[in-house]
Amino acid sequence: MKWPGFVNLWGAWFLLALIPLIILYFLKLRRPKMEVPSLALWQSVVNDQRVNSPFQKFRRNLLLLLQIILLCLLVLALMQPFLHADAEVAEYKPLLIDCSASMAATDEATGKTRLELVKEKVREQIDNLTGDQRIALFSFSNTGRRLTEFSNDRRVLTKALDSLQPTDLPGQLDDVLRMAAAYTRTFPIKTVTIMTDGNLPDAVDFELPFSLDVQKIDPGGPNIGITEMSARRSGPEDWEVFVRVSASSVDLRGAELQLFEDGEPQTSHQVEVSNEEADRLVFPVSTSQSKLLEARLVPVGYDSLSVDNSVWLTLPAARPLKVWVSPKLASWRHAVRVQPNLDLEEPAEDGSTVPRGADYDLMIIDEDGAGNAEAPVRLFVGVVPPDLQEIIKVDEDVSYVVDWNRTAPILRHVQLADVQIGEQPKLATGAATKDLEERGYEVLIDGNAGPLMLQRREGLSVSYYFLFHTDRSTLPYRVGFPILAANAIESALKQAALSDVAAAPTGVLPAVPVDSGRTYTIKSPDGEVSSVESGASGILEGISAGRVGRYDVLDGDTLVTSIGTGLLNGTESSLKPADEFRFSELTVATEDAKQVDSDRPFWWILALLAFGVLMFEWWYFQRARGAMV
Amino acid sequence: MTNPLASQLTTLFDNSTLNQIERMRLRPNRRLTNRARGEHLSGKGGSSTDFADFRDYVAGDDLRYVDWNIFARLRRPYIKQFQHEEEMHVVLLVDASTSMLFEDKLLRAKQLAAAFGIMGLLNVERVSAYAIHSREGQPWKLPPGTGRTKIRGLLSFLENVEGGGNIPIEKAIETMLRFHRGRGVAIIISDFLTFGDVSRPMNLLYSSGLEVWGLQVLAESEINPNVQGDLRFVDSETQETLDITNASELLNVYQDQRIWLQEALNTLCRSRQGRFLSVSSGMTLQSILFEQLCRQGWILR
Repeated sequence: MKWPGFVNLWGAWFLLALIPLIILYFLKLRRPKMEVPSLALWQSVVNDQRVNSPFQKFRRNLLLLLQIILLCLLVLALMQPFLHADAEVAEYKPLLIDCSASMAATDEATGKTRLELVKEKVREQIDNLTGDQRIALFSFSNTGRRLTEFSNDRRVLTKALDSLQPTDLPGQLDDVLRMAAAYTRTFPIKTVTIMTDGNLPDAVDFELPFSLDVQKIDPGGPNIGITEMSARRSGPEDWEVFVRVSASSVDLRGAELQLFEDGEPQTSHQVEVSNEEADRLVFPVSTSQSKLLEARLVPVGYDSLSVDNSVWLTLPAARPLKVWVSPKLASWRHAVRVQPNLDLEEPAEDGSTVPRGADYDLMIIDEDGAGNAEAPVRLFVGVVPPDLQEIIKVDEDVSYVVDWNRTAPILRHVQLADVQIGEQPKLATGAATKDLEERGYEVLIDGNAGPLMLQRREGLSVSYYFLFHTDRSTLPYRVGFPILAANAIESALKQAALSDVAAAPTGVLPAVPVDSGRTYTIKSPDGEVSSVESGASGILEGISAGRVGRYDVLDGDTLVTSIGTGLLNGTESSLKPADEFRFSELTVATEDAKQVDSDRPFWWILALLAFGVLMFEWWYFQRARGAMV
Repeated sequence: MTNPLASQLTTLFDNSTLNQIERMRLRPNRRLTNRARGEHLSGKGGSSTDFADFRDYVAGDDLRYVDWNIFARLRRPYIKQFQHEEEMHVVLLVDASTSMLFEDKLLRAKQLAAAFGIMGLLNVERVSAYAIHSREGQPWKLPPGTGRTKIRGLLSFLENVEGGGNIPIEKAIETMLRFHRGRGVAIIISDFLTFGDVSRPMNLLYSSGLEVWGLQVLAESEINPNVQGDLRFVDSETQETLDITNASELLNVYQDQRIWLQEALNTLCRSRQGRFLSVSSGMTLQSILFEQLCRQGWILR
């Protein structure tokens, strides 16, 4: 048998009211006096009655008894008793609330956002909280955030709930589920409840340690939005800007897509799209200078989500790729020279092997080095990084390629099988691959004796190291060699944003190269201002960008650059709820929102009983008075 | 025009009732009462004219009672014995406490006491009367007397008895016994509603040579109380209170208790060769005297 619990146990103090009740009852009890010749007979009657009816006292004081029962019932109702529905489940309930961009979607009928609907349901659960229940509120978009600890304090929970606002970020379950899983070590959590519109990636890389209860609310009304924006260089000063417009409804929906350059309207285009047929528009843009483009969508008719109607894209200034190749690397120079739009520095006539400039986009360097010149993409040939010279030794022996990372940008479409190498880089005794990884290197090509090629990223720059000299291998004679060189140039073009650029999604701003060691001010679209140090690398990175809009990077009062962000998430814009979520070993079906199982309060039954007792007491009192009259 | 009350001998009852009472006499259970003279026949050795028996003469006998005819024939003296005509002492005890003031209880008690007294006086018994009211004070008492001449005094005494007091009946009897001397009949007229033990004074009466005649006079409201609801009863003598809830539900128990009390008193009196009767003050005096008491054998017509 489960005993009922009490929400407000302190209400038991009101039972002390029994004392004044009893005192007042006896003080106020006025019986009509009646003089009799003698009490002898009546005293015998009372004595006899006490002996034969032990509860005569109660019958004599039935009114008092009724009042005591009435007070007890009221106090019990005040204590808010409840029956445990399932005490084990009801103990600790993490509630994960979706605050992704799609939760800002409204519907035509109510005009309420999805988040507001979710809040109403969560508020009901908070109001129905019982004494043994604890709720912890989490919000999530692309990351998770804990709003409250496990608590049954309605004020705290409601305050945290009220502070929730939809973000301009896509939804992602992994992070918040890991946060909730962390609590399973300290709390007996059996079920985690997710309150969402279901517009989340259906594949989740997470092993559930608890059961998942996904409470899904109805998606919003029809939506149309920009889901992609990018630009590709089509000429020395020409760009092709691509904009993809998608819709959530089956019916075709119309909108006007406007393109702005540095805030000035340039062109517009009418689009009609449905959820089955997106429209991909191309706008030619000619500019030699850096420009901030904005694509703005003006929907025709009702649009439930406005945050995906604007996207910004920064076009870099047009220029040729600046490349330096060590004079001794003739094979690489030949392979690079044939690529278009390059500014390849010719070797110095005086035979110097040091580059004349200071900044390049790509440098291909041999063992002679490159002096103080810098480039975001550097490719070292026959060079062992100085910090690895104790780990890697190069022997005069033949080696060959065992395997390579085919997905690495620089090795894409490069066939390395059967390449013969006249040198044999090998790991020193006791050294292992993890020693390389600890130093920030990634092995791209594995040889029979050790790594043959390494990659290291430092900030925005990347360095590739051929640990053997390519001229002492058959690689320059392979078909893959010019592809390798083209990949290096492509990588440099991307790094310099000279080939194609994509609009930045919300979340984190792309890294901004600036002067090193300075403090810059970031002004967000909603007017918030923050300061960021560029550090020694001269790069501003890790800047949070939770809102769609334009972010200005200021050096004092001087505008350094502007970067725009957009939602750019097809899943969010589609407003299409996932039917199920696939976890590592489990599939969780979503279902319509319902009341989470909670304990059943029955204070109202006690209140009704108290009312019944009050009515009976009134009837009895009137009857007693009538009898006395 | 003459006042009709002026021609009445007493205010307790009218003359016609008095005439009827004068023709009645008490009927005690025991014959041996007082050795002094009286109209009640007792055993041998009396001084009446009714011969009872002979016995041998012993020295000191009164020679006037020697049967000389027997002596002449048998040459031996024999003493003639005659029936005693003994005098019976009638003690009247009227409870004059406050509880007797309800619904003519005291009046009926005084009327009955007067009737019993008149019967005793007219039958040449020694009659004394006590009216006891309070614990502290002396009882009102009428000294023993006999003969018709004492009737007016008896009636006057009873007419002047006023109620009010807090003495319980057992104490009243003990108080009376401090003053009384003589054997006979003790007629106790009371409601017998007391918290005390009545058996002890009963024993005292019996050991004093008195037959115990208990006459309980109850008011109609005591025999059939009409009470309902929650009440606070106040004792008329002690002013003590008793809270009663839903009194109507207790009436059955009350009747049981009342009957039990009557039976207990009846047993107490009968076990001491006495009598007991409970009457209502609502009944007429004639009904009590000429029907109840005659039927119960208390008095003879």
